[in-house]
Amino acid sequence: MNLQVLPKGALVEWIELLSARYRVIGPKRKQEVVQQQPAGDTQQPPREQYIFGELQGAHELELSYPSTILPPKKVFLPQKEELFSFKDNGHQVDLQLDERRTVIFGIHTCDLHAVLLLDQAFSQGAADQHYMARRANTTLVSIECLEPCSENAFCKDMGTWIMPETFDLHLTDLGHEYALEIGSAKGSELLQNLTNIRTATETDYWRFNQVISAKWARFPYRLEADLSELPSLLAISYRSQVWEELGQQCLGCGTCTAVCPTCYCFDVVDEVNFDLTSGKRFRVWDSCQFGQFASVAGGHDFRNSRAARLRHRFYHKFKYQSDSFGLAGCVGCGRCAEACLVNIKPIDVINKLHRKRVAVSGKRQEVMG
Amino acid sequence: MTVSTKPKVAFFDFTGCEGCQLTVIDALQTHADLLSAVEIVQFREAMSERDEDYQIAFIEGSCSRTSDEARLKAIREQAQIVVALGACAHLGGVNALRNWQSSDDVRRYVYGQGGKLYDSHKALPIQAIIRVECFIPGCPIDRNEFVNALKALLQHRLPRLPDYPVCAECKLNENECLFMRGIPCLGSVTRAGCGAICPSFGACCEGCRGLVSDPNIGWLRAVAVEHGLREGGFEAASRLFLSHELMESEGDRHGKH
Repeated sequence: MNLQVLPKGALVEWIELLSARYRVIGPKRKQEVVQQQPAGDTQQPPREQYIFGELQGAHELELSYPSTILPPKKVFLPQKEELFSFKDNGHQVDLQLDERRTVIFGIHTCDLHAVLLLDQAFSQGAADQHYMARRANTTLVSIECLEPCSENAFCKDMGTWIMPETFDLHLTDLGHEYALEIGSAKGSELLQNLTNIRTATETDYWRFNQVISAKWARFPYRLEADLSELPSLLAISYRSQVWEELGQQCLGCGTCTAVCPTCYCFDVVDEVNFDLTSGKRFRVWDSCQFGQFASVAGGHDFRNSRAARLRHRFYHKFKYQSDSFGLAGCVGCGRCAEACLVNIKPIDVINKLHRKRVAVSGKRQEVMG
Repeated sequence: MTVSTKPKVAFFDFTGCEGCQLTVIDALQTHADLLSAVEIVQFREAMSERDEDYQIAFIEGSCSRTSDEARLKAIREQAQIVVALGACAHLGGVNALRNWQSSDDVRRYVYGQGGKLYDSHKALPIQAIIRVECFIPGCPIDRNEFVNALKALLQHRLPRLPDYPVCAECKLNENECLFMRGIPCLGSVTRAGCGAICPSFGACCEGCRGLVSDPNIGWLRAVAVEHGLREGGFEAASRLFLSHELMESEGDRHGKH
């Protein structure tokens, strides 16, 4: 392992150097708009919220952020993106690719694992040119989490609280300095012209190991089922009453899929000009939680209840994606649990299904014994 | 002189504030090319010419008088396509607040003794009187949605409206949920398409675009109470725009959560 060390104070210079060559994106504070309220109103001020956004300088970068509202997928897969413009009734098409050189700073390892899953989804079969162009021109600077970010996160259970094999550049907070692991040529390019950087000494390696080892005890296990059991746990729970109960509760608002770092479903819409022969084609985020999502020509809807739609989401995360990519579709970031107004949380749902199975097999053993 | 082959469009107003018509006029400033695609033959808010030969009718306002019904039927007779323009035409609008009271009482409050002379009744969406092909929701309408709807009609398609809640767009804008700030919001049962403009500026969604087709009102009411809204507060908040829809679905709702 090639470990480098950078004093924290050098971040200012580093971001400045990078900004000359790249669009630099990182976690920063979200400014909420607050309306003037009548006196005596019981409203609370907005909480601290963080988003990935373009940085005007190191002063905006909040590397100790707990989580962001939307994950970094929005950089590769914007909420609304132009795919191409067309003229002459579609006989002339002008492809729109975004090839801006970009650095995303401060990605947590759960989100990094999620990007690797998106890579699989968009590169398999006919690769998605738009996604691939953005991805090829983006370098990811990830950062090690030393504390759990929220009670809703279960990254240790999902194995995403540590680095994946593939990365560009990875930071670990050593107190006054950052340890930098270089994972790719793209990552190493970011260190060009950086004056304050030095190669790690024996002592640095020792400190680095100390910091990483101390993580283990701080992160709790929250799932009662093992990661490897999840696909089969779901496979035998298709007709569980749990889905009906959750369907009653679910608002169908699609917040969970919007904030999910691995949800990538989209819709494609055309916007024509008034000549009706030219216009633009856009890709917009879609959600399997919306009623129109699984409806087809003729009006049939394959998942025509909130319960069926919600079950589908859990199956996609914990079974279908494991089946197709060998990677769990959920990285345990906890964003959906945090954002759900009716408190539908993956940890609770999985644990509930698991307890039901354990209870059933316990009874069976009693009968057989 | 050449005879125009462009589709002829007319705008009509009933009970409403005319704000949606103003949004149309506003849209003409940013989308002047609209006039290359259609010919506007009647639009009281914007011009004095008036022709009764039209194919597409945009109707703003709710129907709130017996005497309005004949005019609506005449428009229906002439137009191939009728579009309800804005919350009043689509849902009855704010006017439908009065539907919770008897029309006699309402006339007396507003007109005093002269109330008897007026033929006003409950404020109804125009769909309660005549068939409409589609609607453009909102108070006021969203100008882009109006422009896109018109383009769709010119392509002989019906405009496609989102059938998912405002929350979806609110999250795309990365807003903190207003409930977390103790502000009750109707975003999770209201049809999206507005870009969550109100919550994005710190004001709650008031439901002006109408309910989604599968609203989970029962659980939203529970959420509102959990976040400090008093019992009955949800009803009060939702009556501003959703009076007619709520009254219509009253029977269904009792069976639900």
